[in-house]
Amino acid sequence: MIEITNLEIGYKSKGKHNSVFKGINLQLHAGDLVGLIGDNGIGKSTLLKTITGNLEPLSGDIKINNKNSSQFTAQQLAQLLSIVVTEKIGGFNLTVWDIVASGRTPYINIFGKLTSEDETIITKALEQLNLLPLKDKLIDELSDGQRQKVMIAKSLAQQTPIIVLDEPTAFLDHTSKHHLFATLKQLCTEQGKLIIVSSHDLELMKTYINKSVTMKENNNIEVK
Amino acid sequence: MSKSKFIFTTLMLLLVLAVLAICDLCFGSTNLFSIETSNPMFSSILYDIRLPKTLTSIIAGSGLALCGLLMQSLFRNPLAGPYVLGVSSGSSLFVAIATMMISSIHVSGFFIMGKSIVTLFSIMGAFFVTLIILLISRKNKSNVTVLLVGLMLGQILSALQGLIEYMSNADNLKTFVMWGMGSVGSTTLQDLYFVIPIFAITIVASFFFIKPLNAILLNEQYAQNLGVNVNALRLSIIIISAVLVGLITAFCGPIAFVGISVPIASRLFFKTSHHLHQMTFCLLLGACVVLTADVICQVLSSQFMLPINTVTTLIGSPVVIYLLFKSKLSVG
Repeated sequence: MIEITNLEIGYKSKGKHNSVFKGINLQLHAGDLVGLIGDNGIGKSTLLKTITGNLEPLSGDIKINNKNSSQFTAQQLAQLLSIVVTEKIGGFNLTVWDIVASGRTPYINIFGKLTSEDETIITKALEQLNLLPLKDKLIDELSDGQRQKVMIAKSLAQQTPIIVLDEPTAFLDHTSKHHLFATLKQLCTEQGKLIIVSSHDLELMKTYINKSVTMKENNNIEVK
Repeated sequence: MSKSKFIFTTLMLLLVLAVLAICDLCFGSTNLFSIETSNPMFSSILYDIRLPKTLTSIIAGSGLALCGLLMQSLFRNPLAGPYVLGVSSGSSLFVAIATMMISSIHVSGFFIMGKSIVTLFSIMGAFFVTLIILLISRKNKSNVTVLLVGLMLGQILSALQGLIEYMSNADNLKTFVMWGMGSVGSTTLQDLYFVIPIFAITIVASFFFIKPLNAILLNEQYAQNLGVNVNALRLSIIIISAVLVGLITAFCGPIAFVGISVPIASRLFFKTSHHLHQMTFCLLLGACVVLTADVICQVLSSQFMLPINTVTTLIGSPVVIYLLFKSKLSVG
């Protein structure tokens, strides 16, 4: 599903390439729950941002379903790949429903009008994560664990075969962490989604993931 | 917000707007009810003075409120607005430059070419400041920093404006000071033939950005992942905001607090984040606020011209203070 060949990641600034990590070769398949492991600053978030198209690769290829990711339009990529990031979302009267509904952005018209089909998909995504009773709540009123679930529900409403999560357990307590990973595992096994998740919580990762990608110093990468 | 509630609220706001517009047309130094409709003075007052003023109030209020909403969404900062971020100061400075450069221009009744140049300069000033603020906001994500930089930039531009005023002759200075107090009463019907099409185009254009604006409320990374071309959105919003602020500032002077307080009030009153709803409400509420301010100006001071800025500040400041104390509320 995702094939990464000789990838170099980093940032382009004033025409210069600031390489963070290079020589990444990976093959990730549908149904995989992939754990991305590594020390702070090693380049986990940079790798995830490069996979999701938020950053351009410095060199190398990322193929999704045998097609180079740069050949997809933003709209097409939005229908293939969704993200959940650590930054907290809030304010502006945003309700649980609004955020989950934003997952339908790649499919709706320019005036943001939801069809009844869109509403059914959003409701289903809310149900899957037991969020339906909270749908009219403001996101600011929810706990950190509930917020993460809302963002995952947004990804489900986006109906992408690939979901990328950057440190989703950062603000969660022990129970919420396990509940979150159990949900991710379920999505992989039942819906065949490819989920890539970065975390520092090794014990938790070991319990749930079926593939680990460890980024080490000197551009060493270990896949198990 | 349900469709029926949206339609009902829109109709209610339209009704309030119509009542305020009628009040604005009737009240002033001469009460229109006291003149026979057959009297030539009636049509002269109505068409030459009151109607342009009422239409200008609607345009200024709705335009600045919409602009404030667009900026608040783009910066994801409820305290953003054309006045607070120094965008109005940018317009003012460039208007000062244009006015002083073209000494034959007078704010009330100068020839159309002169006004076009002033408007163009005003838009350029607004564009220039919005671009700087946007570049800073990309470097430093802190809302407080962006606001402080906006305030400081506004001060610098005001100081430069003061320097230009100091160097100008007495006539230009008087003209400019009067303009700077803000007024919706110096626009003629001929001016509106120029203003209304530009205003209408920017308003219609802004409605084409509802979907990306809804997405960017999450954050830029999410918006990009949802298929939004964030750079194109930024540039479009800057252009729309600059044209609106520049146009309104050129004709009415810098009007304070409407741009920041109306979107805040709209979010407090109407619990929705959807930009179709918020843009509609801000347009109507903004027009109502400036019309109210103008009616108050006329009722309080029928014999002399009370600057509209005095009233908008008196209405707008408490709203902003209220927000600061109620910052837990979901206004931003």
